[in-house]
Amino acid sequence: MSSNKDIFSPELIKDKGSIHPINHMKDTIMGLLVSFGFEIIDGPEIETEEFNFDMLNIKKTHPARQMHDTFYVEGKSNLLRTHTSPVQIRGMLEKRPPLAFISGGKVYRKDDDATHLPMFHQIEGILVDKNISFAHLKDLIYKIVHSLFGKDIELRFRPSYFPFTEPSAEVDILSSEGKWLEILGCGLVNPKVLENCNIDSNSYSGLAFGLGIERIAMLKHGVKDIREFYKSNLDFLCQFK
Amino acid sequence: MKIAYKHLVKNIIANPSIDEISDRLFQLGHEHEIENDIFNMEFTPNRGDCLSLNGLLRDLSVFYDVDANQEIYNEKLNILDIDFENFSHDICPQISFLKIEIEDIPDKYKDYLNDYFIDLNLNKNNFFTDISNYISYENGQPTHCYDADKINGKLVFQELDTDQEFETLLGKKINLKNKNPVFLLNDKVINLAGVIGGIETSCSSNTKTALVECAFFKPEAIIGKSVKYDIQSEASYKFERFVDPECQDRTIRRFIKIVDEHANIKDVSVISYNFKQNKVTKIPIKTNEINQIIGTNISQELYLNYLSKLGFIINDEHIEAPSYRSDIETQNDLAEEIARVIGYDNITRNEITIPKGKKSNIYDLENNLRFFLLDEGFYEIINSPFVGSDSSNSISVDNPLDSNKKYLRSNLIESLLENLLYNERRQKDSIKLFEISDIYTVKNKKINVTRKLGIIASGRAGHNYKDFSKKISKKYLTSVFKETLPNENFEFKALNRELLNTKVKNEIICCEVDIANFSSDVLSYKKISKPPENFIEYSPISDLPYSIRDLSFSIKDFTELDKFIEYILGFKHDFLKEVYIFDYFNNEKNAEIKIGFRFVFQSSDSTITEAQVNDIISVIIDHTEEINGITIPGLN
Repeated sequence: MSSNKDIFSPELIKDKGSIHPINHMKDTIMGLLVSFGFEIIDGPEIETEEFNFDMLNIKKTHPARQMHDTFYVEGKSNLLRTHTSPVQIRGMLEKRPPLAFISGGKVYRKDDDATHLPMFHQIEGILVDKNISFAHLKDLIYKIVHSLFGKDIELRFRPSYFPFTEPSAEVDILSSEGKWLEILGCGLVNPKVLENCNIDSNSYSGLAFGLGIERIAMLKHGVKDIREFYKSNLDFLCQFK
Repeated sequence: MKIAYKHLVKNIIANPSIDEISDRLFQLGHEHEIENDIFNMEFTPNRGDCLSLNGLLRDLSVFYDVDANQEIYNEKLNILDIDFENFSHDICPQISFLKIEIEDIPDKYKDYLNDYFIDLNLNKNNFFTDISNYISYENGQPTHCYDADKINGKLVFQELDTDQEFETLLGKKINLKNKNPVFLLNDKVINLAGVIGGIETSCSSNTKTALVECAFFKPEAIIGKSVKYDIQSEASYKFERFVDPECQDRTIRRFIKIVDEHANIKDVSVISYNFKQNKVTKIPIKTNEINQIIGTNISQELYLNYLSKLGFIINDEHIEAPSYRSDIETQNDLAEEIARVIGYDNITRNEITIPKGKKSNIYDLENNLRFFLLDEGFYEIINSPFVGSDSSNSISVDNPLDSNKKYLRSNLIESLLENLLYNERRQKDSIKLFEISDIYTVKNKKINVTRKLGIIASGRAGHNYKDFSKKISKKYLTSVFKETLPNENFEFKALNRELLNTKVKNEIICCEVDIANFSSDVLSYKKISKPPENFIEYSPISDLPYSIRDLSFSIKDFTELDKFIEYILGFKHDFLKEVYIFDYFNNEKNAEIKIGFRFVFQSSDSTITEAQVNDIISVIIDHTEEINGITIPGLN
């Protein structure tokens, strides 16, 4: 029998914290896209109408610009960005093609229910080069979705509408319950947007995509109510170690 | 918008099934749900032309032979003598008025009109309004019917900057503010144009003479009005999304035809104003460019055939967009049309080469900070920036969701304090939180951004036998942080609990540091924690109270000590949320080790009872009693 002098103390299990599941999902997707070759760029959450709307071919009459959809600040001098697309505009104004950027972060819209929040997170990517086609876009989206959800996942492309892409598409995946679930939006960069960024649309074309991080995190973790992410409940957060 | 399958298929010669049409609609980009053979359509905002039975049939005609030419009134029409003036041609470049008088109001409708109300479960109003609603469903053009006997003066259209009360035909009183496109009768608003008419001039079940207004309003003049005045309006939904500026004549003649099929017309006259010619969009035929955009190789013949079926007019060198397709301007728009017809899912993937961008290190420092904090037991929080109170440099939100969200926060600590108190109320006795976020402030109208790290902590230092009895304090946190990051200045401070009205009395320690103030030493921090490799399936959390039990064991035979500890720490039960060693004492003199375990129980269905906890604890005790040399002091 050994003496208690020889006994080691029980392993000291120090509590470890956790990264917020939304930031973990953001890091995972950004990491994946960086491995594909995309470069991370960053931009402000408080934007001008010019960068958030005008440069992206969002007309003055577009419903998204209305006070009921967009948060304006300081006497309408600025707004809280409604998407991360203005970061792509800033990137395209700074760098000449070929280019491949991603940006991720908080965005804001005037929504508040079980599936929408006034603040949520997006990741968007843009690639501009010679002869980029919709068939290339499909290839990239397949690679992203297969990396996130596995090679067996079934996906479909549906025509959609975004002022900054043309053609535009939304992509759904087939859930295990047989329901199609929308996971991202994408399209070929509208030539008007390229021209707004002083890129010759006769020589270059581009593709762009954007996905809602909460949406993907809800699907991957089985969280039904988006509000759970932002209650700061330690019982919730400690599950994501 | 709801469209009945029955109404669609009646006009499609091939008689496709509802599932087949559904698949085709998805292929064309028209999202929908189906309930009781009704398509509940959700069109993208650029496809206002599809907001009708005929509009949808036009799109489906690329796949099917469609016969949607409803009969119209073809007789010559008298010119209406009306006192009307349009002061806002830009907003309303086309408008027609039809005055129609009938002998008797019909007591029943023809099948097609009656079916519209029954199939879509709609209420009837009065004869003329019912036809107006039906026509809007059939061809997408909203019309408004006045009781002609109530229009006794000069009718004016203009965008008016006004402040007056207006009662809608549904009896809702609204205060018109700022600029609104309106129809005025003797200087009084009788119609909020493109949205809803007024009660004073509306048709009733006795109306035998109607004045029907059929106009094109520019979307930008109508947009936002129904939301502003909280009015549900199908007309404004359509005008906001663009109606065909060239369909007024056909709409008026269709209106007369339907009236004619139901009643004897005593008198009918029409006047049309065309203040501004509609712009025609012409795009050069460039099949190669279309193939380049999509990544296909379709022939020019097929390309033009598809467009022709969608209503485009093909000339020698140009493609002319139909008047109802205001969304078509460029080769990319035409490419999308072709891609829709081919089917996005039928376009073959082409392997992409991504130009390699430079590796970014913009997040390296804060990522290392995050991992340092995780290793010290801190949880990352993300808070909304909206707060109810301001400081001198807070940014104000012009259109907040509510009065508690009127400003953007100017610090992280206040949100983190709320997070801490929330978890205290949930019986958490060791709370360590942090957040990294941009903070926006304003000074002299200039918006400034600072990226900050906020940390807050209170309660026990940790759930292990070394930290359990230590309380988080300024001294404790400073020493822990200095040990690993000696050159960083966290400047912890204690918050005053007196104003917080809490039962818990533990110190609350916090700090807020600009990320820019950290040195590059942080970059050399060696992480211990790793992010989870797999995605964790989340278990719904319970809001019910916890029950805590402590068990202290005396161990005098150490041969099975490891096995014993492994058993307790690995014990699983649905109600057991956490177990950890909170006490450890090695009494060398008495050759005895004492270990205290804390068990935290919670049920997800109802408050956990003493009996339920006792049952689980009994299982543990029974098991350990069988191990030689392990006892529970005080247990009989």
